[in-house]
Amino acid sequence: MSEKLIEIKNVTYTYESENESRPGYTVLKDVSVDINKGEFVAVMGHNGSGKSTLARLCNAIFEPTEGTVTVKGITADTEEKGDEIRRIVGMVFQNPDNQIVATVVEDDVAFGPENLGVEPSEIRRRVDDALKSVNMYDLREREPHKLSGGQKQRVAIAGVIAMQTECIILDEPTAMLDPMGRKEVIKTIQRLNKEMGITVLLITHFMEEAALADRIIVMDSGKIIDDGTPEEVFSKVDFLRAHKLDVPDSTELCHNLGIKEHVLTADECVRKIASLLGGEAV
Amino acid sequence: MSHAIELQNVTYCYSEGTPSQVTALKDINLTIEQGELVGIIGHTGSGKSTLISHFNGLLKPTSGKVLIDGTDIRESKETLRQSRFKVGLCFQYPEYQLFEETVAKDIAFGPKNMKLDEDEIKRRVAVAASYVGLSDEMLEKSPFDLSGGEKRRAAIAGVMAMEPSVLVFDEPAAGLDPAGRKELIKLITDYRNKTGCTVVIVSHSMEDIAKIADRVIVVNDGMIAMNGTVDEVFSRCDELQSMGLDVPEITRIFSRLHALGFDVPENVYSVDKGTEIIRALIEGRRSV
Amino acid sequence: MIRDITFGQYYPGKSLLHRMDPRMKLVLTFALIVFMFVCKSFASLAVIVLLTVIAVALSGVPLKVIFKSIKPILIILIFTALLNIFYTHGTVQNGDALWISFLNGKIEIWDKGVYTAVFTMVRIVALVVISSLLTYTTTPTMLTDALERLLSPLKIFHIKVHTLAMMMTLALRFIPTLIEEIERIMNAQKARGADLETGGIVERAKALVPIFIPLMVSSFRRAYELALAMTCRCYTGGEGRTRMKQMKMKGRDLVCLFVCLAFAAGIIVLNYFAKHETFSIFGMLFFKQVI
Repeated sequence: MSEKLIEIKNVTYTYESENESRPGYTVLKDVSVDINKGEFVAVMGHNGSGKSTLARLCNAIFEPTEGTVTVKGITADTEEKGDEIRRIVGMVFQNPDNQIVATVVEDDVAFGPENLGVEPSEIRRRVDDALKSVNMYDLREREPHKLSGGQKQRVAIAGVIAMQTECIILDEPTAMLDPMGRKEVIKTIQRLNKEMGITVLLITHFMEEAALADRIIVMDSGKIIDDGTPEEVFSKVDFLRAHKLDVPDSTELCHNLGIKEHVLTADECVRKIASLLGGEAV
Repeated sequence: MSHAIELQNVTYCYSEGTPSQVTALKDINLTIEQGELVGIIGHTGSGKSTLISHFNGLLKPTSGKVLIDGTDIRESKETLRQSRFKVGLCFQYPEYQLFEETVAKDIAFGPKNMKLDEDEIKRRVAVAASYVGLSDEMLEKSPFDLSGGEKRRAAIAGVMAMEPSVLVFDEPAAGLDPAGRKELIKLITDYRNKTGCTVVIVSHSMEDIAKIADRVIVVNDGMIAMNGTVDEVFSRCDELQSMGLDVPEITRIFSRLHALGFDVPENVYSVDKGTEIIRALIEGRRSV
Repeated sequence: MIRDITFGQYYPGKSLLHRMDPRMKLVLTFALIVFMFVCKSFASLAVIVLLTVIAVALSGVPLKVIFKSIKPILIILIFTALLNIFYTHGTVQNGDALWISFLNGKIEIWDKGVYTAVFTMVRIVALVVISSLLTYTTTPTMLTDALERLLSPLKIFHIKVHTLAMMMTLALRFIPTLIEEIERIMNAQKARGADLETGGIVERAKALVPIFIPLMVSSFRRAYELALAMTCRCYTGGEGRTRMKQMKMKGRDLVCLFVCLAFAAGIIVLNYFAKHETFSIFGMLFFKQVI
């Protein structure tokens, strides 16, 4: 049994309405889920399904209206505890421009550790290591606004790595990137999880990205409607469709052809179809 | 009949005459015909955004000419002004251009700039709103009170309301979820079927382009690298990949199967078509 | 493209000036500017010019780049020079100091006018060169950092020095982003036929509304997201923060300090001893021969 890192228990979250006559807007309804240490979890759901809110509850930016969120045994009921949680759970946002604070790449990566009061020489070491692990070390003296979207996003990821958080939440980190930038970022995320052992919570609506995770949580209308391995989740093609989601093309093709095994990638798909056709060769 | 848009030897340099001069477009010759649906693909920085900014005269070519309906848009101030209305340009994340008090007023911004009379403006706002599926109730709301998807559609309506003969979209579905993406692509094809307008779509999504385009233009390194039907372009899988582009996943599967010696075509772009082909193949073998 | 503008016009390099402690650079630049205004004689001005030339040579910034910083003030330079030449009447010596007289004395050029013109021009050029050297050899981030540290004693007066410095850094960081944004919005509105170039002042001001409002909206959105991102990175203000890049005064900083002090002493002494007379006699002889 693996160790629980984030425990979400019966959480409801309601946005307060600025206008008193209008009721608040409930985006999460009685959600309970655990994230284990070392896992790579993808959260899928269409826009407005509550997935971003769930992410923001995990590092105590939002406080649950009802229920509790506990990170490594810490419940965020005061501001200090919130800060403590954010030392454990870092976050990368969708828009790469709006999360970079410094005018030089390495200064930006140093921002988090500086806030934590880390020793200067230690910050230097962490910044260099973090930049190397996202393959941005050579560009450490560049101005962030001259980087591509994918590079900016990797700088943002390095900023979290340098804080040495145990978990990193990525809120649609690839939504604004081109296919190349998306690949760069996804590769980096996989490396974070596999090589550095960081727990990853990836919020995305790209099916190919979710397919890379160990576990997928599917959300709709503020509820978790499915939770399982990619193979399990993507086998329910019609169910996902009904919740405004897609499956990878390979999965869908094999599903349509009645192939029982779960297929996630083009390679597997080619093999399966080849054996299907080959098996009945004349 | 003249071409909807014609580019003759268009070259464009940024920061001309300075050490940081960059040639973004190199001697481009290109025609877009009336009523076509053209997809433009190319990786970021290939010059495709610079290219479409020439279609309505937002950028002035360093050398070369841009013709709309056979007229040089730089002929006079008036032809340049008209080019803005003849070629509607809808940029990436168009929702960030909304500014009026109500959605209706915002959609009317373009027609107002055309100096049309009140009744005509009203008619156009109503028609454009119907193309993108905005209700009358939404038209009276502030654009900032709409949801993300609705904002995007309102902004698109703002361009449609100018009733341009060519409508150019830069990454129309960027940032949307799969359902929103499908909806938007359908919206664009519906619009085209209803109006018969020429439509140009710049996209990173090979799947979308393969599904809807009549013709695909590949821009690479400031030049037109390929220009042909969907079949012609996507059959050059290796070349596309060397330009940092992809082909649709389903196409990759079928070209791999084809290479393995199976009797399947390579030009398959949708899962439905793919399913059909494999099923037929299995049926065929059974009946033998 | 507008986005190519580099802010703070930093010129990358590894020269002595680049490596100096930015705090020392800031203080010395400030002191030098003060001395430029104190200086009264050509002799002390010569000292300042010498110091400026040495600084330029040490900075490794090419002369072409230095001239670029003077270019924008050329018109001001010429204008003040002309004003001085034609409107400063008087002399710095005894005897005949009226050099030229036109139109029955309606236009007169006196020696004092010429001196003042030359003096002011040299002074302004030196001032611009010295202050741009500071920005050429120091990144904006280092400058704000230096400013924050230099002003940190003000904390006892409850002035939030860190907050101010943070705001400056963020402004520097977001100026290019917002310029890009303006460009994008302008293009989008132009594509809808917005006319930004013609019309009177009122029409033009009105034409800016479709640009200004989306810019405001997006800036607020950016500010909100940025604040969220900073919270996520455990930013809680200046308390308990450390800095990766430490500033340490080194030998070279002290050397520079003493060199500057020596020059300052020179300026004061020469100010006191050498009056205009000596030089104006040379100038007189030279000028009369030319004419």
